[in-house]
Amino acid sequence: MSRHQGSITSVDWSMVKSSLGLTGQVTSDATLDETTKPETTVNSDPSTATHDTPVLDSSTKAQTAIQALSLILPASVPPPISSHDNPAFSLLHDPEIASQISSLLRQPNSGAGDNHLCRWLYDTFQSSDSGLQLVVLKFLPIIAGIYLSRVTQRKPLAGFEAVLLALYAHETTSRNGQSVTVSIPDLSHSSIYHETKLNTKNSATELNLAVISASLEPHGTVRSTRRARIVGVALELYYSKISQMPAVSKIDFCEFCVVWAGQDGDMYKDGPDIENGRSEASKVANGEAAEEKGPKEGRIPLPWELLQPVLRILGHCLMGPTKSKELHEAACAACRSLYARALHDVNTKAILATGSLLRLCKIGLESDHVDHTEIIMTNIINL
Amino acid sequence: MTVTQRLDKSAQMAVCMKTNELEAKLDEGNIQEAESSLREGLSLNFEEARALLGRLEYQRGNVEGALRVFDGIDLQAAIQRLQPLGEKQPPKKGRARTESQHAISQHAASLVLEAIYLKAKSLQKLGRLTDAAHECKSVLDAVEKIFCDGIPDVLVDSKLQETVSHVVEVFPELWKQAGCYHEAMSAYRRALLSQWNLDNDCCARIQKGFAVFLLYSGVEAGPPSLAVQIDGSYVPKNNLEEAILLLMILMRKFYLGKIKWDPSVIEHLTFALSLCSQTSVLAKQLEEVMPGVFHRVDRWKNLALCYSGAGQNKIALNLLRKSLHKHEKPDDLVSLLLAAKICSEDALLAAEGVEYAQRAITNAQGVNEHFKGVGLRMLGLCMGKKAKVSSSDFERSRLQSDSLKLLDEAISLECGNSDLIFELGVQYAEHRNLNAALQYAKQFIDATGGSILRGWRLLALVLSAQQRFSEAEVVTDAALDETAKWEQGPLLRMKAKLKISQSLHMEAIETYRYLLALVQAQRKSFGPLRSPPQVEDDKINEFQVWHGLATLYSSLSHWNDAEICLEKARALIAYSAETLHTEGVMCQARGQIQEALSAYINALLLEPRYVPCKILIGAVLSKMGPSALPVARSLLSDALRIEPTNRMAWYYLGLIHRDDGRIADAADCFQAASMLEESDPIETFSSIL
Repeated sequence: MSRHQGSITSVDWSMVKSSLGLTGQVTSDATLDETTKPETTVNSDPSTATHDTPVLDSSTKAQTAIQALSLILPASVPPPISSHDNPAFSLLHDPEIASQISSLLRQPNSGAGDNHLCRWLYDTFQSSDSGLQLVVLKFLPIIAGIYLSRVTQRKPLAGFEAVLLALYAHETTSRNGQSVTVSIPDLSHSSIYHETKLNTKNSATELNLAVISASLEPHGTVRSTRRARIVGVALELYYSKISQMPAVSKIDFCEFCVVWAGQDGDMYKDGPDIENGRSEASKVANGEAAEEKGPKEGRIPLPWELLQPVLRILGHCLMGPTKSKELHEAACAACRSLYARALHDVNTKAILATGSLLRLCKIGLESDHVDHTEIIMTNIINL
Repeated sequence: MTVTQRLDKSAQMAVCMKTNELEAKLDEGNIQEAESSLREGLSLNFEEARALLGRLEYQRGNVEGALRVFDGIDLQAAIQRLQPLGEKQPPKKGRARTESQHAISQHAASLVLEAIYLKAKSLQKLGRLTDAAHECKSVLDAVEKIFCDGIPDVLVDSKLQETVSHVVEVFPELWKQAGCYHEAMSAYRRALLSQWNLDNDCCARIQKGFAVFLLYSGVEAGPPSLAVQIDGSYVPKNNLEEAILLLMILMRKFYLGKIKWDPSVIEHLTFALSLCSQTSVLAKQLEEVMPGVFHRVDRWKNLALCYSGAGQNKIALNLLRKSLHKHEKPDDLVSLLLAAKICSEDALLAAEGVEYAQRAITNAQGVNEHFKGVGLRMLGLCMGKKAKVSSSDFERSRLQSDSLKLLDEAISLECGNSDLIFELGVQYAEHRNLNAALQYAKQFIDATGGSILRGWRLLALVLSAQQRFSEAEVVTDAALDETAKWEQGPLLRMKAKLKISQSLHMEAIETYRYLLALVQAQRKSFGPLRSPPQVEDDKINEFQVWHGLATLYSSLSHWNDAEICLEKARALIAYSAETLHTEGVMCQARGQIQEALSAYINALLLEPRYVPCKILIGAVLSKMGPSALPVARSLLSDALRIEPTNRMAWYYLGLIHRDDGRIADAADCFQAASMLEESDPIETFSSIL
């Protein structure tokens, strides 16, 4: 696999890769060459990526990636994966490999600059094969989760940072650095779904323009004040592919939300609106919580640039079309913790967003799913 | 069960048949026999009989059987036979005949389409979702062919309409369940953008289903096709816009009374709009909800959250005052905490905030015990803020130490809360307990991993107050390394001031120059949408840079340069206390006392609470003989009331006491001034809050 133009100056991944097993030479700073514009770093546009590379090529890329991975994982990669017609797809969905990678990522020194797995994730993402990129994205929840919680512990994290920067650069290129905006509709203008009687000649009246994601600057290193933004943008990329993500990855994400929130949310099992000291379920929860009091490890600052993409992903996990009971429960727990956190921070936007998700969960549980498309069962059929 | 057949009015006969026999035959698997007995008993044709049998089976819950029956009919051929209705209307024929013609062909269509629909439903129940979706598609295609101009409101058989509505509704659902999300998107759009003559409830259900799908599926729908875009109308260009539009339309239908209230719609809208940070739009939506839907207190509370989220804290507080009234819900913790937080940001409201926070602490019991730390924190913040406007020294110091005690108590309950650590750092710094402040500033940087700019600034300020300028500069440089270019403004300004404090004037000028270039580049390259997030509330503007440079030049007695900088500053803001202040200082240094005084006085006229000019007037007057001393003294006391830690004010007050012969008072003032000088930061601590 040839190295991409976007080069790393202080950590030359491909060189290290060729000498697998040689460690210790790598400095802890992953510095992307700042002079290289992000346009050249990654061949990001997924459409051209799939277009230009014939299937055979993408399959060879996947084979190479799997081979490299099998040198890193403790147990060997099961043969059916590499022999599958779409190896990247089976790599994405294989539970055994996922659990091996996940436990490697969770090891205490996993994020260092000389970590083989991080290097594999970086290389695999840079292969610009969209199927393989999905495999890397699948592990973003664990990478981001562990990374953000470990930042305060002064551990070497250059490996994680390199992966996160690659994702950030990819998103920067595919968006051309532009911000994402939403013009909030106003019903006084006719739209494709409705007409207004009042004929507004001043249709030029300004709509509210909301910035969903601000414009992106290229970043060669993770500067600490941009850390939340870089992770946030990586999560935006994750969200854009979320319908292709396996449930287990989303469950990981939800579990890290609880860690990040650092707040116990069990008292909101019956929804966000509890009267003062009257909730039954919460009394039990309170008893439990009393036992395990103490500082929560992993609580992080949650600025809006990080919290917003988190909430979008969480919304998908809770209300999205894929139904998985385990995921739903994990998402509910995450939502409760983030709601409690929002209340502790008195963060009004977050209170509104998480509160509405919790209420929606409750409505979903209480409603008796009527199928409105069912015919009326009658004892008399008229023709 | 009974099957009845009503033929046309002209035939005037009704046939009725019990289904027991039929069911028995079906159970034996004799579809043909059942069919023929139906055809005989009710004089039906083959397709009608089959359709009827299929429905019978379907209704009995035997979907596999129903499928077998339906498979026996060539539905596609039947569809082919259906004729377009719109075209075949010769305009000048008798109405009765066209109507009956309509009735007949609609009747046939209705039977066939219902059969296909039930086939789709059977397939759905058997989990063959894609097949089911294809069946539905064929129904919709057929209907579009029959009614090429859309289904008219009148002249449509109600049963046919019912089938069409069902199909339109189930079609996107099927694609969604099958995991074909792009097909589902276009099915939803087809349902909502074509004329199916759906009733309000059905249409609302589809709109809500689509909005939910758009919001949460994670699949980008792409803009709708050009064909449906009418000139001048709003066309959503992404999922969020389309979802918000649909939810708003649903909200409007609620308050027009067209459909029943569905609480989930406002929750989805809340989620969507708060994600966009458009809570003021949400507030408008909540205001439009008819009375009786929400409890008024809930509405006030949610509105308060919305307005506060949109930065309109005054409105939010007014709403909270209503909802926290003793006849409403005075003990609601979320409202109490939000009210306390809003009050803690304004010295004049702080006293009110103290009450809310105290009430919150009292009510933090049982399940809500975890809020105690937040309550204490808010109480501490309100007390600290209240101290700033307290009229007596005694009260001020009591409030300040109470505030610190409360925040310390809060941190023992909320040990991981980095915001609280920061607030403690600032409070201690303002209290001039610099060692404690330093410790918290460091702790904050550790807890946040240095990710928050104001943490670095606090640390540098505290170090500067300890007169450890070179260390402060190291911190500032480290912070500059961790900051992207556009956010470096406040740090550079600080760096320039640190250079001045170390008498490195040329380097300070260099730093200012760099800052100026940065600010000007920023102004040129950033539109309103491109302001970097962390400096939004704290933008370094060009004016401040020019003014800083003017002050620096004037302190070096470079009068010409100072004049030029002042001119530049004045070009940006014509009248400001700061420029008048510098102007006065320059006049005074050149011996033009009267001009200096008038500049200071003008500054005070612009900004009556501008402390530096109060002090300078006091200082000038104190040198004008004994008769001016009382005026000077009152000005300086006033300055100290506003800014009790201003060392210059204490110093000049000391001079006046000395000249008046009150030596002990003078000594106290000088001592205060000297102590404060040892702990004077280069910028006020409150500038980073």
